[in-house]
Formats: sequence, structure tokens, C-alpha cells
Amino acid sequence: MKSAVDRWLGPSLTVLALVWLWLVYAYIPGARFEGEPGPRAFPVLLGVVLAGLGVVMSLQALMSVGRERSADATPVLTGREAWLAIGTFGLLILYAFLLDKIGFIVATPVVIATAMYGLAQVRRWVLIGSLAIGITLGCWVIFDALLGTPLPSGSWVVWP
Amino acid sequence: MEALLQGMSVALSPGTVAAIAAGVVAGLVFSAIPGLTFSVALALVMPFTFGMEPIPAMALLLGVYSGGMTGGAVSAILLGIPGTPSAAATVLDGHPMARKGDASFALGASVIASAFGGLFSLVVMMLLLEQVAEVALRFGPAEIFALVLFGLSTICGLADRSLIRGLIAGVLGLMVMVIGLDELDGVGRLTFGSVQLQQGVNMLVALIALFAVPQVISTFVDHGRVERPVIAERVRAVFPWRRVFGHWWLLLRSSVIGTVIGAIPGTGGPIASFLAYDHARRFSRRPADFGTGTLEGVVAPEAANNAVMGGALIPVLSLGIPGDPATAIILGGLLVHGLQPGPLLFQTRLDVIYALYMVIAVSWVIILFIQLAGIRVFVRVLRVPPHVLGVCILVLCGIGSYVIRNSIFDVYLMAVVGVLGYALQRMRIPLAPVVLGLVLGPTLEQQYRTALILSEGSHQIFFESGVAMAFFALTLLTIGWQVWSSLRASVTSKPGVA
Repeated sequence: MKSAVDRWLGPSLTVLALVWLWLVYAYIPGARFEGEPGPRAFPVLLGVVLAGLGVVMSLQALMSVGRERSADATPVLTGREAWLAIGTFGLLILYAFLLDKIGFIVATPVVIATAMYGLAQVRRWVLIGSLAIGITLGCWVIFDALLGTPLPSGSWVVWP
Repeated sequence: MEALLQGMSVALSPGTVAAIAAGVVAGLVFSAIPGLTFSVALALVMPFTFGMEPIPAMALLLGVYSGGMTGGAVSAILLGIPGTPSAAATVLDGHPMARKGDASFALGASVIASAFGGLFSLVVMMLLLEQVAEVALRFGPAEIFALVLFGLSTICGLADRSLIRGLIAGVLGLMVMVIGLDELDGVGRLTFGSVQLQQGVNMLVALIALFAVPQVISTFVDHGRVERPVIAERVRAVFPWRRVFGHWWLLLRSSVIGTVIGAIPGTGGPIASFLAYDHARRFSRRPADFGTGTLEGVVAPEAANNAVMGGALIPVLSLGIPGDPATAIILGGLLVHGLQPGPLLFQTRLDVIYALYMVIAVSWVIILFIQLAGIRVFVRVLRVPPHVLGVCILVLCGIGSYVIRNSIFDVYLMAVVGVLGYALQRMRIPLAPVVLGLVLGPTLEQQYRTALILSEGSHQIFFESGVAMAFFALTLLTIGWQVWSSLRASVTSKPGVA
């Protein structure tokens, strides 16, 4: 499938591979003994293969200029999709932060309510509230109370 | 005969059957919840066995083991999140089946295939224990490397329509698994001094991220824009015996793949299930249907990953060699209860061996009943509107990632990998080969380097082994076949070419 996406994806992957190779050579030591593949060998091989695949993809895209099918012109992401992806990512990062700082019991309902309102666009407050409390309690019972897996209690919170 | 009767009477005593049932339930629960694995369940259950008699104790552990092998498929099919790495291949067709309204059918098929695979490997274990153990012991690092390389060649089959995109995806998956502490030399690789990065990217965290996060984003994107068909569950299809056994030949082949791979230490369920999935697709009459929700795509990986159990127990019982963390705990259980695995156990305590066989058989019967009875309850989760279910999965992703290693860092990592997965998906880079790279990468590199350390740097070690050469030939054949098929497809798709 040669598409308009490949024209920038191929070179991007090649650049990514070159950055990877630079990082590998800069941060991973080579083999301790001659003839033995050290910790660097496999990452180098992967970088070279990715760079090669990026070049092949770029060449394929160049050769197919003007022959794209209409389906290939579909944008990778619409504005709405991009915002929802960013929103989901942001919320997951926020969840990780809140789990660490205020703990599972407080962080989870906050995140559920935010996700329901902001991402799922639910405006029924009873549903949002019951889901936030229900999921939090359900998860706490399953993980903490029944299975004995400790959930984060939060470094900012001092529980009695 | 006396030993057989004695073993059966102990294994079928009410106490032992209750222990099996308790173990099965624990295994099912732990493996069905993303983030918890049945290895954790085995470790948690182990202290409970200290005060028990040897056979009920082993019944509890083996119940967890067999229950855990099947439970991963529940969340894989219903939520699109593999409960265990072994269930990753099941997501590829199981979840699309659920989205088409066939969740109960997919769950039923997966349980039947699982039980078939598990019982098949048990029979192999009983009849060919010595022979399989002998073959398995011939697998050194060179042979395992060749086998895993062959497993990796299945990327060609998982690459959708573009081989190059599939290869890129596979390489990206392998790259992710490079990060962390190098197991052989003990040096950090691309950790940039971070202690958290030293432990590397956990496979299960990456699987949760790659399977669940893109799906959650898609449900939010589709909400209000796409009119989703109401999932009319066809509950009548909960017991799809006929449909599943219509694929008896595939069930049998997948079970053989699982049993053989399970017997090789250092391999395991994920490799077996992906190999069986690719095998099913390659020999299917309708390979294009794979990935869209086909029964064969569920039956093959489930039969294979459950057949791994019997295979994995062969080296444990016959030689005392565990192949993965779960069998290591089982071995620990045997030792704690004074049962020293090895040839002597077969000579002096044949009753114990027969009892263990019987325990495994009973555990599969219990699993079959519990799972089939539970399907009607499990599928209710699909009645929840997709965007609301999306929020629930989002939270479950966070908790699931945290509880694997009690690490907040893993939650951050899951978010990053998940969004990258979504970006790759939007760029039409298939995620299945990324997963394959994640699953096979560490074993591939480790075995390659171990082989070269053993041979003092000489690649001759790979060419001296007939088994390794056979797998290399199969790998070349697979890649060659795929390249030829791609070229043929591109020629026939050109305008004017019939």
C-alpha cells in the first residue's frame, strides 16, 4: 500500500533509526570480549534494519507519486481525533500523577468523572457519580480487599 | 494397577476436588483481570499449601495453573485486553467476534478449544513423557533462537496488506524491549540513568497499552459520530461444540504446536499461540478473514496456549527443569511437599504421578463447567454503551499497569506506549507485529547471544544443529512465500491485469 502517508513516514522512520543508532552508540557499551555480541549488537542491528525499511518505504512512495488511490488521501488524523487522543493521553498521565500523590481512592473518581464528562461527553450527573463511586469501590474490593494487592495510597495524603 | 487406583482415589477425594475447584477459580480470576497474572496467583496460593497433604496441595497449584491458562481469553475477547501474554493472539479475532455480537460464541469456543488443548497435552504427557523430554532437552540456545526466529517470521502473516509495514512494526516492538537492564551483561540499555527504566518495559504493560488504549480512543472518537449496531448477543451459541470440532484438524495441529513448544524450556504460551494463529491463517481457506473475527483465529491460539501446560510439565516432572515462572512455582510446590521430580519419582511414587495426571484432567472438566456457566454473566459487560465501557477500560488500564509491579512509572509508560500505538494504527502500521516483537524479542536476543557465548563467538553453532537448520529453512520458506504472494497480489491488482 503506497500512500501519501508513506512520503513522510518513510523519511521519519529513517531519521528515528539514525537517532536510535546515535543513542545506542552513545549510551550502550560494546562487547567485553572480541567476537562476542555485546549488549549493543542487537540494538544496532535493529536500528540498521529500521533505517533500511524507512528508505525502502520512501523509495516506494516516490515511485508511486501520482498513482495514489483516493482512499490513500484520507488524513491520518482529523482535528477531533487528535484532540481526543491528546485528551486520553493527558488523562492517563494525570491519573498516574494523582495515583501517586492523592492515592487510588480519591484519584479514581476524579479521573472517571473527568473522562465521562470530557471524553465520553456524558452529561447525566447521576450516571457520572454512580459510575465514579461504583468503579472505585469495585476495584478497591477486588484488588485491595479480596486479592490483597495494595493500591497506591498517595504521598500527599496522611491516612488515619 | 494398584498405583493407578490409589492415585485416582486420592485425586477424586472431595478434599482434592475442592482444592482443584478453588485453584481453578483463583487462576481464572487472576488471569481474567488485566494486570494480574496467574503466576502471581500461584505465588500467593503457595503458602496455603504448606499445611496441606501433598496431593491436595498440588491440586490447588495445578488448578490455579490450568485455570490461569484459560482465563486470559475472557478479557481478551470481551475488552480487547489480553489478561495474560498468552492470550494476546486471541485478541486478534476474539475481540472482533465480540464486536460483531458473537462474544458468547467466541468465549464458548475458546473454552472448548482450551480444554481440548489442555487434555490433549495431558494425554501426550502420559504417553510420551520420556520421548518428549528427550527431544526438548536437545533444544539448546541455538535451536531456541532458530525456533523464535521462525516465530518472528509470522510477522509476515500478521502484516495485513503491507509486508514492509509489518516488518517496521515488528522492529519497533523489538526496539521497545531492548530498553532496560541487559540480562546477560548487566548494563543499562537506553535507561539514561533512570532507575525505573532499568527494569525495562514490562510486556504486560505494553500489551495493555497497545491493545486497550487505541481501542478506548476509538470508542470516544466514534461516540456520537458512528451509529454502532446494537450488540445482539446470540446466547444460543454458548456451547458451540459442533462448530469448534468442525475444526478438529486445526485443533489437533494447534495442540501439537502448543505441547511441543511448552516442553521446550524458555519458550511458552505467547510463542505457541502466535505460531498456531499464523499456522491457522496460512492454511485457512479464507486467510483474508483473519483479524475480522473468525472462529479459527480463536480456536488455534487457545488450543495451543493451553496445550503448553502439559508440555511445560513434562520437563518439570521428568527432569525437574521449569521452563517459565509458573512451572518454577509448581516445581517449588513439589519440592516443598517432598516430591523430588525426576526418573526416581516415576519408579517409587507412581501413585503420585497418576494422581497428578488425574488432578489435571479433573481441573479441565471443572474449567469447562465454570467457564461455560459463566459466559452468560461475562457477556453482560457488552451491554454497557461503548463510550462508558471505554471509561471503565481506561481506569482498568491504569490500575492493571500499576499492580503488575506496584509501579506508578508503569502507568506513565502505559500512557505513552498506548498513545504511540494509536498513532501507529492511524498510520496504518499494524499493531499485531509490534506485539510479536515485544513477546519474542527478549528470548530471541538472549538465546542468540548465549549461543555465541557458548561457541566463543562462532556462528558455526547455528549451522551444526539439524534442528536449527530446519527452523531456518522454515523461516526462509515463510518469508519467501509471503514476498511471492505480495508480488503476485500487486501484479493482479494492477488495472488491466486479470
